[in-house]
Formats: sequence, structure tokens, C-alpha cells
Amino acid sequence: MYLDAAKPAKETVVETNGNGFHKPAAVYEKWQDWYASEISHHGAMCCEIAREWITSTDFSELGGASILTGPRWLRLKFNWGASSFPIYWCEAVRKKTLDCGALAALASAIFTARGVKNYRVQMVQRFSEASTNQWSNSWNDTSEQLRWMNDDLIYHEGCAIAAGDGEIKIWDPSAGWWVDPKSKDGYGGLLAVRLSAFNLPADVNFTWGKHSLSAYQWTNIN
Amino acid sequence: MKIYISGLYSGTNPQPGIGIARSLRAAYPGATLVGVEYSNRCSGIHWQDFDEIVLHRPWDELNLDAHAREIKRVLESGALWVSSIDLEIMWFASLFPGGHPNLLTPSLAALNQVGKPAIPAHEYLPVKIPTFVTTELSDWDLHAFCREHDWKVWLKGPYYEAVRVHGWGGFQDMRSVLSSAWATEKLFLQSHVSGYEESISFSAYQGELLDCIRMRKRDLTELSKTWAGDVSEVEEEMLVPLREMIRRINWTGGAELEMVRDADNQLWLLEVNPRFPAWIHGATITGRNIPAALVEGASGVKAEESVATGEEFTRVVLEIPVRSEFPLSPLPEPFGGGIGHSLKHPSGLLQFANRLHKLDFDNGQVSNGNGSKSKNQPTIVPETFVDDLKEIDFSDMQTPASLFLKNTAADYFARAAALSKELSTDEIEVINAYSFKTNPDERLIKLAHDSGFFAEAISLLEVKKALAAGFKPEQIILNGPAKWWRRETLPDASFYTIFCDSIEELNRVIAEVESGELKTEFLGVRLRTPNIRSRFGIAIDTPETFEELLETVKRIPEECKFGVHFHMASANVGVGQWWHLFESILRWCGSIEALSGRLIEILDVGGGWFPEDLGRNSGEKFRKAIEMIPEFLPNVKRIFSEPGKALAQPSMAVAMQILEIRGQNDGWREVVVDGSIAELPMYFFYPHRILCQDANGGGWKSLNRGKTQLLGRLCMEHDIVASNVELPSTAEVGDILVFCDAGAYDRSMSYVFGRG
Repeated sequence: MYLDAAKPAKETVVETNGNGFHKPAAVYEKWQDWYASEISHHGAMCCEIAREWITSTDFSELGGASILTGPRWLRLKFNWGASSFPIYWCEAVRKKTLDCGALAALASAIFTARGVKNYRVQMVQRFSEASTNQWSNSWNDTSEQLRWMNDDLIYHEGCAIAAGDGEIKIWDPSAGWWVDPKSKDGYGGLLAVRLSAFNLPADVNFTWGKHSLSAYQWTNIN
Repeated sequence: MKIYISGLYSGTNPQPGIGIARSLRAAYPGATLVGVEYSNRCSGIHWQDFDEIVLHRPWDELNLDAHAREIKRVLESGALWVSSIDLEIMWFASLFPGGHPNLLTPSLAALNQVGKPAIPAHEYLPVKIPTFVTTELSDWDLHAFCREHDWKVWLKGPYYEAVRVHGWGGFQDMRSVLSSAWATEKLFLQSHVSGYEESISFSAYQGELLDCIRMRKRDLTELSKTWAGDVSEVEEEMLVPLREMIRRINWTGGAELEMVRDADNQLWLLEVNPRFPAWIHGATITGRNIPAALVEGASGVKAEESVATGEEFTRVVLEIPVRSEFPLSPLPEPFGGGIGHSLKHPSGLLQFANRLHKLDFDNGQVSNGNGSKSKNQPTIVPETFVDDLKEIDFSDMQTPASLFLKNTAADYFARAAALSKELSTDEIEVINAYSFKTNPDERLIKLAHDSGFFAEAISLLEVKKALAAGFKPEQIILNGPAKWWRRETLPDASFYTIFCDSIEELNRVIAEVESGELKTEFLGVRLRTPNIRSRFGIAIDTPETFEELLETVKRIPEECKFGVHFHMASANVGVGQWWHLFESILRWCGSIEALSGRLIEILDVGGGWFPEDLGRNSGEKFRKAIEMIPEFLPNVKRIFSEPGKALAQPSMAVAMQILEIRGQNDGWREVVVDGSIAELPMYFFYPHRILCQDANGGGWKSLNRGKTQLLGRLCMEHDIVASNVELPSTAEVGDILVFCDAGAYDRSMSYVFGRG
């Protein structure tokens, strides 16, 4: 994830969890004030054409499958990598590479076009310092850690869909899979999650596996 | 305590014997575990947890009576037996129809309740069974099943093996391979279900559930076998009916329910394996020792408590020492010029299956998806076929000969015309167009003309033919990538529609319309949507092309109205897929209309329909489709339908004569006919119904499946015009065989070959 608007990290308290990983008291603190990424619209035909192309292509790619199917084709079309924001529809669809925020915004637009109620999802995942160092080197000219990283933690975005009475499923468009609500702390593990959506009341709660998530609130998963 | 465990194959598609042994060793450190195998190539015999190994001769050599006596002796001695070989379990069920207290496998009655593909016991569970049919149905019906399921189907063996079928040729090849391997025609086709695979494994003793767990596959082998998984409790909504099912069918032994969970959270039951799964020790790792629960339930001997060391498991590959008493055998010689050593099923399971067929298990294999039994059903042909054949004099006919089925053709064209009239509304007129390339036979063209069809041409030579046949220029639709071929024959008249195949062509035609060189009432485009393999139409799979298309459409001269064409052979992509494509095209058209500002006033939808698919509920489907159009395209006034293949295909047949009947070999025989794939070039793409006259030269009847191959007259290896048909025992040299359904591309693409 890369956001120009990101704010500097605050100092966090570090403790150890049951698996022996060092875990800040609020793993999401560095990204507390970040918003889910959006794709901007020029208010002109260029962006309208691009948006129509994405949603019509999605229907073709769906091949008659359920509208609740994850749009994995996005990752065949776009590599995962750095994007710069603001990014406009007419630019995004022509890129070869998009980051998790842009991919999540596209997935959200796709689910909306299919008539599937969906929400934007922000996540904190643990990888390893070896991984974050690799990403720092490949996304940057320098090896300095990027703002979406914090040691072995990373900020990530996805998209949730309504899957029943208050239940949701979380789609990770960068990975092309549904995030497991039983996710464990460890490499690739999900540590915290936050849901948001346009016009979503603040007092709404969701069930994700055994987790209860409140709109706009970061929730620790592990 | 002594426990026999059979089924120790441990390749990439392993049997569960090793996993069972590891789990039982953990639960009963002092027990004597005896590994039982039927080939020293099954590497599990070298596994360290076995105290003894009993190695029998392979199943094809085994004296079953003697082996049965030995098993009875073992069981009577007080030892327990856990089998992990499906076929062995079936055989045990025949030896002990009512079970044996020490035999930890299900009874024959219980096995019959879980026989695939019907799995009668599934009715107790909150699951569905994917649609299936037995391959004992006629080829005509099997092809229809594949089309109905968009060719997303699996051909499955009676006990093991499943192969994905992509087309008719591939189906025929794989059916031949599996039928030959398992020595049976009792295979089945089952529709594919997309989703995530998960299993429930349980153990039960005399109808009482002892323990069960749920496992989700998290990594797979190339054969989709479990490589890693997570283990959790079976949820209450499944557990209660599962317990009831086990009680009702009085299950004893281990089992695995293999399922797929689809995007809508529906569970589909694919198989119930009458044994533990090969990954069973993965569950033991998570603290749930299901095999130990079985042994404890049967013996009353308490198992040591399982200790969970994780909630997930994965596999690795291990090298272990070979037991000195079972040294490795040499590799067999590759067959002359062959590749590899062909070591599949080293214990002779294929031959064992063949021996078991004679026991004739009724485990649901021969029922079709509707639950009714069907065995080698004859193919049904329309009555008009037979009426037409009665009017043909075969006595002086030079064969191979193309037969025009006059009444059949008239009937099909009349029904198409009636359907289009019936589907038309005050707002939208439905018109048929006859695609000349399907079959340019004058009799069919005349029927099309007389039935009010428009003419669809892909070249100016076809336009010339249409005009000569009485079509007016304003009834001609020009299509295809090379429609201007033989430009010198371009008529000086206005076409009804020109559909351009590329943006380059659209630009050229716009220029020619503007200059007055071309005249057409409608100017449109043929679209190729993403996710479709086709060489035709404008591929709108990049935003750049889509934007360029929109810009070009905007430049279409105002005097031309705008339309869109899409064509995809439903026989190839499947009926459901075709309707999805139709809806997809409506969405693209809606976008094009909104973004270009050009109204879409005609929509041309082809085609490639199988006659039955067009007839089966098509009226209702088309009616719904036409109702859907105004939602996306409120300005469409005319819909063109191109049913050429559906009408032409049944309208002609090919008569062939038997030239030679060769001797039989194990029931199989070869018969040479004077026809060939030159007259039936579509043989590889769909089945043709074949008729022969009865012994008295009277009525016509269709050939069933059998053990005869009809060899064509050409000296070409692939010139086999029918496989696995049953000729009447009275068939003689000189008899006529009529290959139906040969009136479309079989006719138009037939070629001259081997005629001097």
C-alpha cells in the first residue's frame, strides 16, 4: 500500500503474544488515520469509459458463475506493485501495475456493479522483516521502509461483501483469495481489520467467522 | 491387540494405510500393527510403524477363495482389520454381507447407500449431488448433457479416476481409456461444481458415530489431492444429520465425505469414500485421532489421549530405509519406443475390478441424474426422419450419398418461422436469417426464402447466390472477416446490414458509405467479449480498443442506423454459457450506446445451435431474453436470430454401404463402409445418429452402443466414422447405414478425397 496522504507513525508499546511474535498494543496505530484508497473520477467521459469497461469486462469474465465469486481476473490483468495517488479511472485501467488499495477500489466497484453489497476493508498483516525489506527495495529507489510498513507489519486493503444476516466475507484482490477468519498470527497472518463504506452508519456490527466487527473501528484479530 | 491395515500405496495419490498406522501407533503403542499389501512396489510396506508385513500376490494372481479363508481366520483369531482399499472393502462386503465384529469396514447394504454418483444416503445430509448421467446413455444424450453443462463436466470411473472433458473428441478418447482400464461401460459424466474442497472424516461402529472432524484443503497436488489442510469441528447443522445417516445405514468403519462448497455456501457431495482419507493422520496431529476412536469403539480398549500439536497440517516427502526382507524389484522395461515405465496400480487393482464386476454390485452407478435406471438406451430420432427415408429408393443408389430429408427440413423451417412470429412483440420484431455458409443447398435456401428468412452472407459470392435465389438486397446481412471477397460482384444496391469484423474495416466502410461507394441501411460491428476464445469480431478486451471502438462508432454516418452482432456456437460453448454471453453482450451494448451516443436498433444473435437445444424450452428462454432487451437497449427494433445449424443439420443424412465385415475378436469387430470422414467431417465434434434397416429391409432403427467400429473407406488412420456401435447380428455386406444429422457443416465442408 502506498498513500501520499499517510501520516507519520506514532510510537507504539510492544509486547509478546502467545506465538512469541512481538506485537504492538495496537498494531494498526501507525495507520489509524489512513482512509481506504479511492479511484478518482475526472468527471469526464474518459473515466466513465474506463469504469464501464471494468464492470462490463467483469460480467464477461464471470462466465455465468455466482455474483458472489471473487473477481480474481483483476490480478491477471494487473500486477501487484506500487501505485501513486490520486489515481483516476482512466489511468488505473491502463496501468500494468496497481497496489492493494487500487485493486480493492476496483473490486469494490465490481461488486457494486453486480449488485452485491460491499465494504472497504483495511487490514494489518504480519509478514517478516526479510519480506518488508524486499518490498522496500523493489518499491523504492532506496531501502528505506515505506510508510505502509512497520518492521514486519504491513498495511493492506481489501473488500468485504455481505454474505448473509450481518455476516461478511473479506476478499483480498491482491492475493485473489478470501481471507480466512481463522487467520493466525504468523507469516501472512491478519492482525487487525477495519470496515468502512460510504453512508454506512457508525453503529453497524458485522460477523466475520467468530469475530464481531464494528463499522469504522479497528478490531484486533489475533 | 493385533490390527491388520491394508492399503499401503504411498505415491502422490496415496492410500491411507500409512496415516492409519501412524495414528494407531500413537494411540496404542503396544499394539501389533500388521501391514497388508498386494505389491512390493507399494512403498508403505517399508514404513517403520508396522510390526509385521503380510505381502500377498497382486490381485490379478490372487486366489480369492484362499485369501477369503485367510481373512476369516485372522478375524476369528480376534484381530481387527482396517482396510483402506475401496475394492477390497467391496469384496469384504460380499464375503461378510452382515459384517463381522472385528472387520472395521461397512456392510454391503451400507456401501450401496453411498455408491457414487447417486449416493442415496445424501438425502439425510444438507448437501446436493452434482447432476450426472451414466455413459450407458446414447452418445446423442451424452453430448446433450455436456452442452447443457457448458462442457464443464467430469468423466468418472466406477471406483477411481476422474478426467475433465472439454469436447466430444476428448470425451470419446477418455471413455475408451477408462472403459478399457476398468473393463466396464459403467462410467458416468458429472457436472463440475466450482468452489472450495472440504471433507468430513468420521469413524463409526455398528451405526454409532464415534468421532468426526472437518478438513478444508489448503494446498493441493496436481491431481487435486490434499497436500495441506486445516482441521476443525463439524458444525452442528451437519453433525446431527450425519449421526442420523450413520445410524440409518448402520455404518461400520472409517469414511470420508468429499465435498465442494460453492460461492453461495452450498455444499455439494462428490463422493463418500468407505474408508479413512489418506490425510487422516493430519487430523491426529490436531488432537483428533479418528482411527483410534474406531478401534476403541470396536475393541473397548481405551486409546491413549491425543495431543494436539497444531490446527493445520501439511505433507513433506520422506526417504526411508527399505526393509531388508522386501528388497526393491527392478524397473520393468519401457515398451518398445514408449516413454516411462507404466507403474500405475502396481497391485493389480484394475484386474481386481474386472473380477469384482462379476459380483455385480448395485452401488448406484447405473442410475442417471434423475434416479432412474437406464441401460444402453436406443437413440430416438424424429418420426419425420423415418418418413423421409421411406420415400427414398436405396436400390440403385450410388453410395456414399447425401440424402435430403424433405419433410424434416420443411418441418424445422416452419417451426423456426412460427417461433419467430410468436416471439415478436409490438416493440421488437424477431426475424430469422439463414447463414448461407451452413449449407448453400438450393432446397434449404428456398425453404429459408419461402419462410420469410433474411440471408446472411460472408462473401460477395454468397450475396450473388442470395440475390439469384430471390432475396432482395434489403434482406441481406453481410458478415465475416472477408465479406468483400470477389469485390467485382458487389451489387449496386443497398444492403440491409453490414457488420464489420474489425475497427479497421469499420473505418473503411464508413469512408465508402460517405463516398457513396457502399450503401446499407444499417452499419454495425461484431463484438468479441473478454473471456471468449474466438478469432472473430472486435476484441474489446482492452480499454484502449474499447475507447477506439467508441470513437469510430461515433463517426458512423447519420444516414446509417447502428447495430451489433455477436455469434458463438452454443454447441461448442454450452447452452448456459451462450445465454450468459447473450446477457454479457447486452451489457456491453448498453455501455456502447450510452458512451457513443449512437442508438442500437438491431441486434443479430447467432447461433451454432444444436437442433434439440433450440427446441428445448427455447421459446421460453428467447421470450425472457427479448423481455430483457429493453432494459439494456430500449431502442432495439429488430432481433435477428441465426438458426442455420439447428435447421440444416437434421435436414440431411449420408447413406453408406457395408463393404466388409471382419471376424470378431473378444466380441469386438471391425466393419468397413464406403463412406468416410470426407462425407462426415464433423464426426469429431458431435455424435451422429445412425439408422439401419431391420432384417427384412423394412423399418429403420437406430444403432445402440456396442463393440463394432465402422471404418471409413479412406486410407487414413483417423477415418473411423463410428466407434462402439452395435450392428444387428443379421447385418451383411451391401446393407445401407444412414448417418443422420449431417446436413449442416458435414455437408458444406465435405470434401472430395480418394475418388481418383
